[in-house]
Amino acid sequence: MSRRTIPLAALCACLALACLATPAGAVSLTPPEPHSPNAETIQTSYVVMAVIAVLLVIAVNGALIAAVLRFRERRGTEPAQFTAGRGALRPVIGALSVVAVAIFIFGVIATNDARDVEPAGPEGLGAAPTAQVGVKGLAPLQAAAAEAGAAGEEAGAGDSASETSPLEIDAIAQQWLWRFEYPGHTPSDALFSYGELVVPVDTPVILNISSTDVLHSWHVPALGGQVQASPGEVVQTWFKADEIGRYAGASTRFSGTTYPAMRAWVSVVSVTDYQAYIEGQRAALAEAQGAVKAVQDQEDAE
Amino acid sequence: MTPPAATRTVRPEVVTREVTAPRPSWIERATSADHKSVGLLYIATALTFIALAAVQFALMRAQLIVPENSLLQPEIFNRLMSTSAITFVVFGCVPLALGLISYIVPLQIGARGVALPRLNQLSYYLYLAGGVTLFASFLYTAPESGTAALPPLSDLSFSGSNGADAWIAGTALATLGFVCFAINLVVTTRKLRAPGLAWRRMPLFTAAATVIGYILLVIGPAMIAALTMLEVDRRFDGVFFDPQEGGAPLLYEHLSYIFMTGVYLIVFLAAAGAISEILPTFARKPIFSRRAVAGCFAAIAGLGLLAWMQNMYIAPLNEGWTLMAMAFALSLLVPIGVLFYNWIATIWGGTLELRAASLYALVAIATISFGLVGELAYSLIPVGWALDNTVASQGDTLYVLVGGGVIGGFAALHYWFPKMSGRMLGEGLGKAALLTIFVGLNLYVLPMFLAGLEGQPVDAYEYYENTGVDGYNLIASIGAFVLVIGILLELGNAAHSWNNGNRARGHDPWAGSTLEWFALSPPPPHNFDAVPDVRSGEPLHDIRESIAIRERAFVAPAALERVASPVPAGAVEPAADAEAPGGDEPPAEPEAPTGPEAPESAVDEAPADSDPAARDSDDAEDPPVA
Repeated sequence: MSRRTIPLAALCACLALACLATPAGAVSLTPPEPHSPNAETIQTSYVVMAVIAVLLVIAVNGALIAAVLRFRERRGTEPAQFTAGRGALRPVIGALSVVAVAIFIFGVIATNDARDVEPAGPEGLGAAPTAQVGVKGLAPLQAAAAEAGAAGEEAGAGDSASETSPLEIDAIAQQWLWRFEYPGHTPSDALFSYGELVVPVDTPVILNISSTDVLHSWHVPALGGQVQASPGEVVQTWFKADEIGRYAGASTRFSGTTYPAMRAWVSVVSVTDYQAYIEGQRAALAEAQGAVKAVQDQEDAE
Repeated sequence: MTPPAATRTVRPEVVTREVTAPRPSWIERATSADHKSVGLLYIATALTFIALAAVQFALMRAQLIVPENSLLQPEIFNRLMSTSAITFVVFGCVPLALGLISYIVPLQIGARGVALPRLNQLSYYLYLAGGVTLFASFLYTAPESGTAALPPLSDLSFSGSNGADAWIAGTALATLGFVCFAINLVVTTRKLRAPGLAWRRMPLFTAAATVIGYILLVIGPAMIAALTMLEVDRRFDGVFFDPQEGGAPLLYEHLSYIFMTGVYLIVFLAAAGAISEILPTFARKPIFSRRAVAGCFAAIAGLGLLAWMQNMYIAPLNEGWTLMAMAFALSLLVPIGVLFYNWIATIWGGTLELRAASLYALVAIATISFGLVGELAYSLIPVGWALDNTVASQGDTLYVLVGGGVIGGFAALHYWFPKMSGRMLGEGLGKAALLTIFVGLNLYVLPMFLAGLEGQPVDAYEYYENTGVDGYNLIASIGAFVLVIGILLELGNAAHSWNNGNRARGHDPWAGSTLEWFALSPPPPHNFDAVPDVRSGEPLHDIRESIAIRERAFVAPAALERVASPVPAGAVEPAADAEAPGGDEPPAEPEAPTGPEAPESAVDEAPADSDPAARDSDDAEDPPVA
């Protein structure tokens, strides 16, 4: 093996090994299939950037390998002694600036796109908040809630709250479990679940993410990007799942001893199943609280 | 061992009663404030910490080789994880760069020492104390609050053990040392440059080092402040980062990311500086545009630091801040692209000699390019949402840190080893280690990238079956072992070559163009007998040229010839010197400093004698450079 082929051979060997050792079908070069509009935006951005990245890698390393192969030391060759003339780098700077600006514009558009909450689809709950999820603070959401609330009143008084207001769920992280509080949850009327979030399909869901202890993060790749859960801050994200199914995610912020257990699941069910789940959960929790209260009363009596 | 009285011969003696006995060499080295001693201590300690980090990394990958493995307890894994990142970067890669800077920069600028030698020495001992503090915690309880010790997890209520205090104190001590180092570095490069060494003629490693000095002056105090506040929170009832009392954990996140970003830039810039020295030397061609490369270093430092929030897209920040971070991160494309363009244009048209040093430099460029291009992709906010804090971004960071800190660091070590020890760093083993490191690194990072796309989080001691990342982790672990073996191989190579390597061919084995090759190998305590006069960006080429002109003009009288020629050649290294002039260098190559006498004579006569010649070459060379 001659010296110049070593890096090339190494690269080929790596790629070959990587290809051999992983079953070909299992390799996915993109994030998991998106099931929410914001996840789709993320996927698009990823694909665009991956293409740009691969082109840049090929350009840099192709030029490097060509330069090394062509201008390696040979007997009888004399090195040229040129350096950059005035303005020699201007085309390079110009081209790179144009690329950087183009990527930036694309990035701003994609970011806005991912934050835009889409209205509910035909199979979803009726709520249609036309808001943008703020990274921080509740102002846009409150506006949306007021708007949706007004719309709900017009639609009729018979609907329950969960059907008309935007589906706004509090996701509260703690070491090492997520607690989800559904619309209508109050201390007296308990409506929450742990670990697994159940939502209706085709319905925009706004998550108010916070933490009670340390930093965590919400990351369900099929339903959008990461959001950090910080104590003392409420951060919003949203998703609109387009398909019934169960999506898994894991926190990506180290949070202590059993941090890998800090996982989350989102069960996307049909609207009727969702309403049944909510009623069932409310009844089960009321029953459980009643039992606890009974025990407490008994203890108090004793 | 006194010989018997009968056999003792009477001979004159030097009375040494009044002279202090020479101290053992290790005491001399440990107590000397000479920048070369300090540099060597830095390099040796940093390489030790890199080896330690590599072993920690291998242990962690052994735990992750199969899903739900129980090889290491979670606590043990978390302790390794919490210390390995800081060990590798803050106690390994950065001090390796600083050690090289401490050794080489004063030589490159033609100084006889550094401006504040005691401060330089203090900086090393602060760094060493930091490292000892951190690793001594393994005797009681090692820190387990994550790679950056983010509060609230690192607050007393969640990390009750003293390990977190050791992490804070160790990092703060080392950072304080780096700040001391930076003060000395900035003063030295401003005040002690040889006459004529204007900024536009600055050797590029020194240019990078100066930028690194300024980076450290920005990030060091920020990190020390953050760590102090954290420690006050922990032990003195502070509420800086306590959300329950109105504190802001986000503040620590900002400060620590400023520090981490700066450290990342330092590792990259040190490697870039070394590469910018190595490529012109081995391609036998001046750097394409010295001004552009130096400008790129400054631009990368400035824009890169301003883009620290690029790592915090998931944190609760206002939208404007994340857009600003994205703008700065994307603007880095320009200086980094220009830098790569310069490197390739420097090789273009030259005659690149493929030795271990240049091969390490080339592989470092390739590896860093993979990592930086990935970083560019993560700069886009939606991509950052998907991939930050996954093993994909971790692997990507490793591309730059291993590519810059380890591969680039070894390139620099191969290049300057003859200057430091007078011996060559083993070429064959060096190339074998390079191949091993490169294969291992790619074998680790590529599967980790794919696993990161699936959402595998960083820093976790286990992953679960049926999450689609089993195969990736298996390959990545194998790759990690190969990588660690490669690193340890090269470290062994360096340790072995220090005393047993082949003798370097003369004092300037690479025919370098900067002033460190004008000194002896290893340089005497005062570096140069006479401070050379610098007239272009490549002062040693000027000196060689003027010597060649003088030699052509000089016709030795028959009587002098006997005396003149053999004496310097035979003085110290007959075998090495016999090779030097007849080597594969261009014919104009003189044997500039070959014996200990040579530099003296070269310096005494060259500037005075060859003024017209040097001026001519200055005029010829300057316009393209400036």
